[in-house]
Amino acid sequence: MDTISDIKELGKMIADIETTAKGLIEKSQGIQAIERNAERILASTAMLKINVNDLID
Amino acid sequence: MEAAMFAKSEKFWNPLLETLPKEKIRELQVKKFRRIMKWAFEHSKFHHQLYKHVGMEPGDIKTMEDIAQVPKVEKGMMRGIQKKDPYPYGDMLCVPLENVSEFRQTSGTTGQPVYQPDTWQDWEWWAEAWAYILYSQGYRKSDRVFIPFGYNIFVAFWAGHYGAEKLGCEVVPGGVLNTEARLLKMQELKATATMATPTYILSMADTARKKLGIDPAKDLNVRKITCAGEPGASIPATKKRMEEAWGAKVYDHIGATEIGAWSYECEEQPGGLHVNEGLFLVQIEDVETGEIIETPNKRGKMVITAFDRLAQPCIRFDSKDIIMWHEQECPCGRTFRMIKGGVVGRADDITKVKGVLLAPTAIEEAVRGVPELGDEYEVTVTKKGDTDDISLKVELQTEAEDLKEEVLAKLIDQLRLKTNLRYNISFHPYGSLPRYDVKAKRFKDLRKAH
Repeated sequence: MDTISDIKELGKMIADIETTAKGLIEKSQGIQAIERNAERILASTAMLKINVNDLID
Repeated sequence: MEAAMFAKSEKFWNPLLETLPKEKIRELQVKKFRRIMKWAFEHSKFHHQLYKHVGMEPGDIKTMEDIAQVPKVEKGMMRGIQKKDPYPYGDMLCVPLENVSEFRQTSGTTGQPVYQPDTWQDWEWWAEAWAYILYSQGYRKSDRVFIPFGYNIFVAFWAGHYGAEKLGCEVVPGGVLNTEARLLKMQELKATATMATPTYILSMADTARKKLGIDPAKDLNVRKITCAGEPGASIPATKKRMEEAWGAKVYDHIGATEIGAWSYECEEQPGGLHVNEGLFLVQIEDVETGEIIETPNKRGKMVITAFDRLAQPCIRFDSKDIIMWHEQECPCGRTFRMIKGGVVGRADDITKVKGVLLAPTAIEEAVRGVPELGDEYEVTVTKKGDTDDISLKVELQTEAEDLKEEVLAKLIDQLRLKTNLRYNISFHPYGSLPRYDVKAKRFKDLRKAH
């Protein structure tokens, strides 16, 4: 067995991606090329959350 | 700081989840069940009313026993609310209609098709579930995966395509090509893996040998095959036929349009399939009493929840699939529980014939266990007076035409062993019974029509 010593740090990095992507959408002023691509990042981030963040707490 | 123990190995897509201790998996499942129930309760009129009606709220869910009390959803209920606003999904939809990016529908094998909306996140989730499957079956970036599938309104191998891409495989969509063109393209590109229903895998091998003079085991490079849509890859005799015909490992996977890709056979092929317990909760219910079955080798009906599917959630869905827990741990190291022998039947197609419970899969196991017979067969159950009559049509392989008596004796023996029933067996010329590309309909029970 191996260990990831700080799974919470991984979770925090994933949460930061989510915050950044949401920030992009908020500041995009409706520019679709930003908004839609940021939405796609959020969909991928949700998969990271399923694989990591759901295991925390 | 929290340390997560995991088995470091290249054989896991996500060792954090796939090797999580069983008690931690159960805790995670209760937490995730509560979360998806809350989502549905707050966003879908259908679910809100369903739970309110029995006085339940998501906050009530604290244990697996609590989950077992949550009302089930049946496909008939979904049919009843669809084709209404928000059109065409009705009150089960949990997101604004404009957020739906994917439409699929069920094949309609058991009645009117059910529509399935997905958001882009849901579609990522489909691919994620397939990534677990394919990675466990040895698919890697270096694979060239040929998908001989019609890319139509049914989800089938769409998600397999996206899952393989997620792994980094090179994916070749074999969409509108016919079988011969698909085989030639597989040969030309030296495809290393493919995905199809067991029926089509056998049919492709037959076409390759008889029409193209190609022996898939020698002349093609396919060494991994992932099956879906029918139980064949978990029926030992059918699996053996496919593996011998292609010289490849054949793996089973189980999924459904309204559920997701919930189960997979790993490289160890332990005679069962893992349930992806990180993404799904599978409960097995006694068909008579409704009690949850935890003991291995006892058949029951599957009730399933997908934890992370948002547009049209799947919560305590009564799938009618008959499954049973495996008694063994898998040597692969995954802690996800296994079901033995895949889906062993459906609550609505296991039927009593001559007083004996008959699962159509048992007939397939018997027929495919006789090597002199072709892959196709047809079973019809009728009523003659007060007695049930079962007719079984089979095809003799061309090279076995002189062995009819011997083959008949062998088949009768296999059928008695596997089903404990007698059949009116007739032999038909090779190639004369219907061929299927997708879900085969080889079992017909005409007694209800009488």
